[in-house]
Amino acid sequence: MGVVVKKVELSWLDRTYVWPVMKGMSITFGHFIRQLLTPTSKRFTIQYPEMKKDMPEGYRGLHELKRFEDGAIKCVACFMCQEACPARCISIEAEEFSDLNITQGFEEKRPAKFDIDMLRCIYCGMCEEACPKDAIWLRKDYEVAAYDRLSMQYGKWDLMNTYAEADGKERISQDPTPSVLRRTIAL
Amino acid sequence: MGWASPRVALPGNPPMDMLASLLHLTPATFWMVSKVVIVFFGVFLLASVWTWVERRGSAMIQDRIGPNRALLFGKWPLLGLSQLAADGIKFFFKEDLVPADANKGLFWLAPFLAFVPALIGFAVIPFGRSFESGGQMYHLSVLDPGNGMGLLYPMAIGGMAVYGVLVAAWSSNNKWSILGGMRASAAMVSYEIGMTLAVVSIFMTTGGYDPSEVIAAQGHLPWAWNIVHQPLGFIVFFTCMFAETNRLPFDFAEGESEIVAGFNTEYGSMKFSLLALAEYSHLMTASALVATLYFGGWQVPFIVNPPVLLSVGCFLAKMLFFAWVFVWIRWTLPRFRYDQLMHLGWKVMLPLSMANLVFHAWRLSQGH
Ligand code: SF4
Ligand code: SF4
Repeated sequence: MGVVVKKVELSWLDRTYVWPVMKGMSITFGHFIRQLLTPTSKRFTIQYPEMKKDMPEGYRGLHELKRFEDGAIKCVACFMCQEACPARCISIEAEEFSDLNITQGFEEKRPAKFDIDMLRCIYCGMCEEACPKDAIWLRKDYEVAAYDRLSMQYGKWDLMNTYAEADGKERISQDPTPSVLRRTIAL
Repeated sequence: MGWASPRVALPGNPPMDMLASLLHLTPATFWMVSKVVIVFFGVFLLASVWTWVERRGSAMIQDRIGPNRALLFGKWPLLGLSQLAADGIKFFFKEDLVPADANKGLFWLAPFLAFVPALIGFAVIPFGRSFESGGQMYHLSVLDPGNGMGLLYPMAIGGMAVYGVLVAAWSSNNKWSILGGMRASAAMVSYEIGMTLAVVSIFMTTGGYDPSEVIAAQGHLPWAWNIVHQPLGFIVFFTCMFAETNRLPFDFAEGESEIVAGFNTEYGSMKFSLLALAEYSHLMTASALVATLYFGGWQVPFIVNPPVLLSVGCFLAKMLFFAWVFVWIRWTLPRFRYDQLMHLGWKVMLPLSMANLVFHAWRLSQGH
């Protein structure tokens, strides 16, 4: 079916061309003045290194491995996220340990190694969906970049500390739970 | 002479005479040389500053921010003005590439052919009130009035400017360039006539074609300026100036969305920068012409015989305002189609300027 194109009838004033040009110029000048008087912080442009975009709710950025109040890792090394990951970028090695801290039970399992290859990750959030313990989250941080490939291999402690850094908490490099190691399981 | 003049260090005053004698020049020669330096260096400087105005202004018009990252000595962004220095340095140190099949000599010559006419067109335009000091008249224009060329000179030189574009286009041996150069020369031919006829009607009502006569005839009252008497002529002249300076909405020679970059497709480094500067110098000369012809030149509204510095300031204000209008229009209007430009040139601008000419001739014959 064809579309009937309606021809716009221009008034004689519009056909002089001078008047519409003046109207256009008043519009652009309005923009000019408005932009000139707006302080830099309120303009549309986000001037990146100084200003950062507030990411919307549900934005999927850098991962975080959650911790308990006492600092112990929440992850129980169930491999659910590793299975769910479509990019196959999570690799976990689990270990068994005897926890002397009563709050977390006695016999426990936790990741000995928890690596995510950020170069392969597509930030789909499937790991977050799959986790039964809510132990892995995707933060809003989007500045995941490095000068070499090796720095993009995030290990267990890196992932736990993405959380500490953004919230101003103390960085940790050791599980605070005193434990006796039993054996390591690799899938 | 106004109250401000005794304080101004002008020729005829001891400091200038001393400087002249130090350089073993007569005051007149010294005055001439300093005028040349001030005018050409000033236009050059304004042209380069105007690249900044264009970039920041267009950014503001489009709700952007524009260049603001270059830092002078790693510290001062100066509202983006440092970008000028950064660009200059960059252009100087870029590889100066000449295409293998280009006509080397002409390829080198073209930027100068574009730049020089754009700059020397300014020579006859008075940028301030003439004054008398120590029994001698001093004129604030490079060529003194009464040189016999008057405003015919910038018109002729303006027509020369297209050679720069054409030679640049032809010598680079590139199809886009040739198309651009061809468009520029066609636009020049079709707009020069309308523009000149508009100016002729000013010569007619003035009774002379010397810029100082044109300015004197307009007087200090804004409603006696030519813009009020010849609004039609102004519209024609101003429109043709856009075609003449090759700027949007008539920038067919460049037309980056159609023919890559038109005549300067093959140009890089300092040669490109010179072509760009030529465009801005041309823009400055064009706005000075508009100010002189239609807005009373250096005349200050409501002040008879203004102080010299005030008249210079007023001329600068008018000129820069029109230079800003050039930028403003560029970021308001889209480019015309090529046949629309030809249509506008031959079927609208030319008849309009003829009607304008005939109307003023008739008015003159009625004794107005
Ligand atoms: S976000 Fe997606 S791709 Fe990245 S680790 Fe999680 S499941 Fe894998
Ligand atoms: S992060 Fe969650 S899903 Fe992945 S191994 Fe740990 S507990 Fe299981």
